Amino acid sequence: MATAQVAKQTQSTMVQALQSALVEEMDRDKDVVILGEDIGVRGGVFLITEGLVDKFGTDRVIDTPLAEAGIIGAAVGMALYGLRPVAEIQFIDFIFPGFDLLVTEAAKIRYRSAGQFGVPMVIRSPYGGGVRGGSYHSQSPEAYFVATPGLKVVVPSNPYDAKGLLIASIRDPDPVVFMEPKKIYRSVKSDVPAGTYEVPLGKAAVVREGKHASLITFGAMVPVALEAADIMNKDGVEVEVVDLRTLQPYDTEAILQTVGKTGHVVLLQEAPQIGGYSGEIAAFIAENAIEYLEGPIVRVGGWDTAFPYALEKAYMPNPNRVVRALKKTLNF
Amino acid sequence: MDIKPFTAEPIRVLAPDGSTVENADKLGLSKDDFLTMYRWLVFVRGVDDRGYILVRQGRAGFYAQVAGQEAAQVGSALPLLKDDWMYPDHRSQGSMLVKGLTATEWFGHVLGRMADPTQGRLMPHGPGRRDLHIVPPASTVGNKITEAVGTAMAQRIKKRKEVTICYMGDGATSEGDFHVGMNFAAVYQAPALLFVQNNQYAISMRTDQQMRTKTIAEKARAYGMDGYLVDGNDIIAVYAVTKHCADSARSGNGPSLIEAFTYRYGPHSSADDDTRYRPKGELEMWRTQRDPVTRMRKFLESRGLWSDEQEQKLQAEVKAQLAAAMEEAEKSPVPEPLSVFDYTYESLTPHLQWERKQLAAELGV
Ligand SMILES: Cc1ncc(C[n+]2csc(CCOP(=O)(O)OP(=O)(O)O)c2C)c(N)n1
Repeated sequence: MATAQVAKQTQSTMVQALQSALVEEMDRDKDVVILGEDIGVRGGVFLITEGLVDKFGTDRVIDTPLAEAGIIGAAVGMALYGLRPVAEIQFIDFIFPGFDLLVTEAAKIRYRSAGQFGVPMVIRSPYGGGVRGGSYHSQSPEAYFVATPGLKVVVPSNPYDAKGLLIASIRDPDPVVFMEPKKIYRSVKSDVPAGTYEVPLGKAAVVREGKHASLITFGAMVPVALEAADIMNKDGVEVEVVDLRTLQPYDTEAILQTVGKTGHVVLLQEAPQIGGYSGEIAAFIAENAIEYLEGPIVRVGGWDTAFPYALEKAYMPNPNRVVRALKKTLNF
Repeated sequence: MDIKPFTAEPIRVLAPDGSTVENADKLGLSKDDFLTMYRWLVFVRGVDDRGYILVRQGRAGFYAQVAGQEAAQVGSALPLLKDDWMYPDHRSQGSMLVKGLTATEWFGHVLGRMADPTQGRLMPHGPGRRDLHIVPPASTVGNKITEAVGTAMAQRIKKRKEVTICYMGDGATSEGDFHVGMNFAAVYQAPALLFVQNNQYAISMRTDQQMRTKTIAEKARAYGMDGYLVDGNDIIAVYAVTKHCADSARSGNGPSLIEAFTYRYGPHSSADDDTRYRPKGELEMWRTQRDPVTRMRKFLESRGLWSDEQEQKLQAEVKAQLAAAMEEAEKSPVPEPLSVFDYTYESLTPHLQWERKQLAAELGV
């Protein structure tokens, strides 16, 4: 975590926070290289890597041909050799041409080599809806990655965490899928220290305390959860909001703690429900904390359809839907 | 010898009968080099013969032989330097042995023992060794191509004078990974050698069912890369072509595609029945008239470098060496059951610690 006294705090967007993480890590460690489509002079389509090619040169800021299998495959090979590649996939909806290399190779080489080889790489990619992106610029495919042992999956929800989690991911010895909520790239500002700090992987954060119900979520759904908690608060119901931050490995202690405290659980994600991440957390709670529960575990997520363009509003989870779910478990 | 890309006929130094069609003395190879080549051929064949017995005995679940392809494997691995990187495929044990893997390690791998540097994690498609820069192969055909190119890109970025060789079969060239990897290698002028062992079959699929081009080497042209077609059963030619491409990559001239035209003697693997798809007589023709080991031996004999006595002595030596290696591998323990959780991540996650406790309880340890 950040040290108590940090010299300079600036109000930053997540875009700025991510960029400062990249710059500081590249300054610190010459083996950190970044690669992806249009990340050089264009600065990436979301400008996360703006100006980096001028600072670090084309050997370390590598514009690649349009081939995600090549980006991820090359990153694996670089990581095996000893570099620390950070690959950008322009939108996570386009990771699938490289999915094979990620789940078949990156995730398994440490295991298969009995620990001789590691794959210290980060795949950064914007995910999520609410930006009128339709089926292929909106998805939240975290379930595929968390179902693959060997991968770590990290999803920040605010600029401060984004910087600290990205730095921790780059320094992590294992491959990390780093999902960036593009809806809040520029819509949320928070204090971000100028110096280097890590937000440790595998640790959740209680972003709002409460004693009546636990709302467990991550990424772009955190602001939605906070709004729902505000609405409930008007009726005197105190909702605790837990931001998981890392989905694999997840913070079992933090989950048990909040469930023990409130006895009511709502799980909120953006992705479809069937086979989704919330199902894992629900099962974990049912298996390990059933004695604390005073109502059903209720899930809120996207519908089990493809992601729509014109009907985005009807699709995406909203605070009212979350409020209904909270009432369902509280009024059980 | 003038080594040119995109030849219509395979580049060749030795004719099938061991006579020379190119001046073998102009390659900078000594008598000892020729003898070393031959010893490796005999050794690799011996390892495979001994290893395959484990399948017949029911002590190994799987084996893919390299028999018939020894010259392609040994000839392409010998020019590599210690720091060069190797990405083997599922039929590359000959190359791995030349790079430094021991026969004990290979047998340990086939048996799934701790003598395997990868501790029996992958079915016997090949182990790996970090210190030798041998990356464990993938079972998924084609996966290693983009990775190997990534390693070569890293070698270039770090300004090291090293190369990376990536082995693949003819079938692998149909995968998207091949196209993507070739393109990346060429765009970044990475010091990569993309080495195709064209044994003419991908399980039952002949190359003419796999592709429309006459050769694999010619595909390189489309990526802006040189492609070399070499007689894969002629160890001297394979050595010369690989050395040529490695030197070129080392001096900053980028990647090459090499197609070694060869033939596998065994079934695709111990789980295959190759009599279903091989035309009658084809295997016999390759065994009796194109054999890479016999070819090199005849060459040595024609130069007075090899005798029947030397042959008997070598065969006996290899036999004894492999018997000792097998004994050592067999003595090595099987992996501990609780190690099943190790190396998923660098350290055990809370969830894996919890699962480990469950297995420990199940095992009563
Ligand atoms: C992606 C993938 N598809 C199918 C298979 C099953 N398979 C294993 S080896 C093989 C044929 C490979 O042929 P080739 O690349 O020519 O190499 P060879 O086995 O002849 O050395 C097939 C189809 C696999 N392992 N991976």
